[in-house]
Amino acid sequence: MIRFENVTKVYDQTARPALDAVNLEIDRGEFAFLVGASGSGKSTFLRLVLKEDRASSGAVYVAGQNVAKISSWRVPRLRRGIGVVFQDFRLLPQKNVFANVAFAMQVIGRSRSVIRDTVPEVLKTVGLEGKEHRMPHELSGGEQQRVAIARAVVNRPGILLADEPTGNLDPTTSMGIMGILDKINQNGTTVVMATHDDDIVNEMRKRVVELKNGVVIRDEAKALYTSMIPVVGQSRRLKDASGRETPDEAPGESGAQR
Amino acid sequence: MRLAFILSEIGSGLRRNVSMVVSVILVTFVSLTFVGAAGMLQMQINQMKGYWYDKVQVAVFLCSDGSTAASCAGGPVTPEQQDSLNTLLESPAVGQYINDFAFESREEAYDHFKNQFSNSPIVDSVTPDQLPASFRINMKDPEKYQIISETFSSQAGVETVIDQRQLLERLFSVMNGASLVAVSIAGVMIVCAILLIATTIRLSAFSRRRETGIMRLVGASKTVIQLPFILEGVIAAVIGAALASATLWAVARFFLGDFMAQQYPDTAFISAGQTLILAPALLLLGACLAGISSLLTLRRYLRV
Ligand SMILES: Nc1ncnc2c1ncn2[C@@H]1O[C@H](COP(=O)(O)OP(=O)(O)OP(=O)(O)O)[C@@H](O)[C@H]1O
Ligand SMILES: [Mg+2]
Repeated sequence: MIRFENVTKVYDQTARPALDAVNLEIDRGEFAFLVGASGSGKSTFLRLVLKEDRASSGAVYVAGQNVAKISSWRVPRLRRGIGVVFQDFRLLPQKNVFANVAFAMQVIGRSRSVIRDTVPEVLKTVGLEGKEHRMPHELSGGEQQRVAIARAVVNRPGILLADEPTGNLDPTTSMGIMGILDKINQNGTTVVMATHDDDIVNEMRKRVVELKNGVVIRDEAKALYTSMIPVVGQSRRLKDASGRETPDEAPGESGAQR
Repeated sequence: MRLAFILSEIGSGLRRNVSMVVSVILVTFVSLTFVGAAGMLQMQINQMKGYWYDKVQVAVFLCSDGSTAASCAGGPVTPEQQDSLNTLLESPAVGQYINDFAFESREEAYDHFKNQFSNSPIVDSVTPDQLPASFRINMKDPEKYQIISETFSSQAGVETVIDQRQLLERLFSVMNGASLVAVSIAGVMIVCAILLIATTIRLSAFSRRRETGIMRLVGASKTVIQLPFILEGVIAAVIGAALASATLWAVARFFLGDFMAQQYPDTAFISAGQTLILAPALLLLGACLAGISSLLTLRRYLRV
């Protein structure tokens, strides 16, 4: 579904590449975590999939298509096949829940009746039935993220990209969100999620791709946030760099605490 | 569905930036009014040319009691002098250049004058003996005026020879100058309009960057994303152009049609209806200005 062939992305000629010769394949229907310290290139990876940016070298394939070969007027069609969720939800504050989700269908020209049928159905999938008429500021963070997920999947994309979707949420709410993502994945959508949240990764036991300075340093199935076969000292250092962990917490322990 | 969506986006965009939209309307209104004024002046010149060129004459004014010109030192024109001028006009040497001619006595000149300035108090202070008698000559070819002038100005009893066409040309060159000034002002104002439209679109794109960001992510086409912004500018500019057209119409209808026509009853002013020819051109010009400047702006500020 997503294939990176020797992909390098250089933003700034004087700095190191954000992605450095990355080779990676994510199959249809897979659920993969992208982990790594801040600045390791996770968001850059997702941006390249969306063709928000061009790879400096190498090729990015999405659904069998080399995105570099997609002409600019066909990029919207590529993006219709990909749903995206962010840490900061990005809802439209002056639209209610229903309108926020419907917006994604309106702008690609779906008919009013299709929208009326589909939106409540999707809101139900994310557990928001009965909250159609709430405004975003009347929702908790977790609920807002559910609206954002509903909006991302309402057009039935084959791929869902999530960039730290639980970054602003507490652990319980985060697990709720993960349940929804898992359900979406069960329905056949490929999910790629960039995260710093070790509890979640440890709980889910999915594929984990770890980036460091733009290089893939680990790619394990059913893995933990930190490697089971640790390179001594390295995983600890990665966790510190992310700035999210309490320094006295030992690597791998946090998963056991849950 | 998509059309309804685009229309509602335009509506919200216009409402969100009312003050900028009003300024775009006013700037295009003023600039296109100047463009239209230049057009109206040209139309007026053509109208007057059509009306006057086959009516203008060469006038050979004869000496009268009040004449001070050197050629009139011998006093007012005598009947003999007048006869010899008449003969000269009928001779083939002069006749080949003219269609016909007529004698206008002082009383006739006075009547014409009274008609021409019927609204003006000057009529009361003029008497027939202050106006000279003249021969009015219709030229075959108005360009040959010089020949008539040379032939007659040296004749006894002739005060002066005047080509009315030259008087008109002088008027037309003033009007041409005025329309050039109008076009220059319009040019500056159009630059203002383009910059203002660009700024408005940029602000509008900025204030709606959240929406457009989401639209991009969910795969809205470039048209759906950009059209509301382009149409916003175009609608504002077209409203400005419509106001400009209405203003020109009102000027033709009330200023030229009522006021000026009364002041100068024998001048053919353009009618209010004629100014409507300018309206489509102004509307199109307004729409193009906005369309082009917003396209250029969006290319830089609303990447898809
Ligand atoms: N638009 C940009 N222009 C220049 N440099 C950029 C840009 N975006 C990212 N970078 C650089 O590329 C590198 C990778 O950034 P990226 O955002 O992919 O990291 P990340 O893994 O998502 O980090 P985080 O976990 O903090 O979100 C960083 O060094 C960053 O400074
Ligand atoms: Mg990131």
